[in-house]
Amino acid sequence: MLFGVFYIAAFYFDLALFRYYPEARQFHWARTDGIGVVILWYGWIVTAALASAAVAVAVPRPVAERLSPRWVWVVTTLVVIVTLIYERRWFV
Amino acid sequence: MIVVLLLLHGLVAVALLGAITHQALSVLPLAAVKGQRTFVDRFRGVNGPAYATPIVVLFVVTAIGGALLYPQYRIDVRPALEDMQNAAANGVFEIKEHLIAIGLGLLPAYWLVWQPDNAQGVAAASSRRALTWLLAFFVWWGFIVGHVLNNIRGLLP
Repeated sequence: MLFGVFYIAAFYFDLALFRYYPEARQFHWARTDGIGVVILWYGWIVTAALASAAVAVAVPRPVAERLSPRWVWVVTTLVVIVTLIYERRWFV
Repeated sequence: MIVVLLLLHGLVAVALLGAITHQALSVLPLAAVKGQRTFVDRFRGVNGPAYATPIVVLFVVTAIGGALLYPQYRIDVRPALEDMQNAAANGVFEIKEHLIAIGLGLLPAYWLVWQPDNAQGVAAASSRRALTWLLAFFVWWGFIVGHVLNNIRGLLP
């Protein structure tokens, strides 16, 4: 349920776990200038996966089972709406 | 090699698009059909639960294909779009990458709500419908944007 929230947070706050530089074919933990364009998408996904997995492990099962399945699509829909609003910047 | 990968990515995406569209229409709350069934009735008259696992597999395989193609896009296509000052094309692709990532995170919940153990209750039914439609929206967006960008030099004057 929280993967999308963590993904958008990772994207917005530039919290990619790692960066890939396709022209140099290199992965780096931190920003590295002078080796071409960078891909952050892989790093955002891994950041979100690790964060949501940590929450899934930390939250006790009875607490998780008390949550309605509706929360999954409600939270995800909100994440998508926020994403689309933020990405309007490309079209103005 | 990149062309072969692009073709495979497109073909798997077609299979995913067909499967998710069948399933998304199958959960529409329409009245039972009496008399002769139309094309739409037959299109949506599929066994929805049987599609869940194949859709998860196809989504993951398609996303991996896209992830492998992404470096080529970042090196060749995106700078060309920037040179053409086509920010909208970059924008729709950026949205595509977000939706596919969010969709990957949604897959476990989507798969769970389609399991027979979770078939009961109004909340389960509405969640199944909503998650399926969300995933269908992600897949349709990704498919259309992917094809438009792949052909954009032929589409724009």
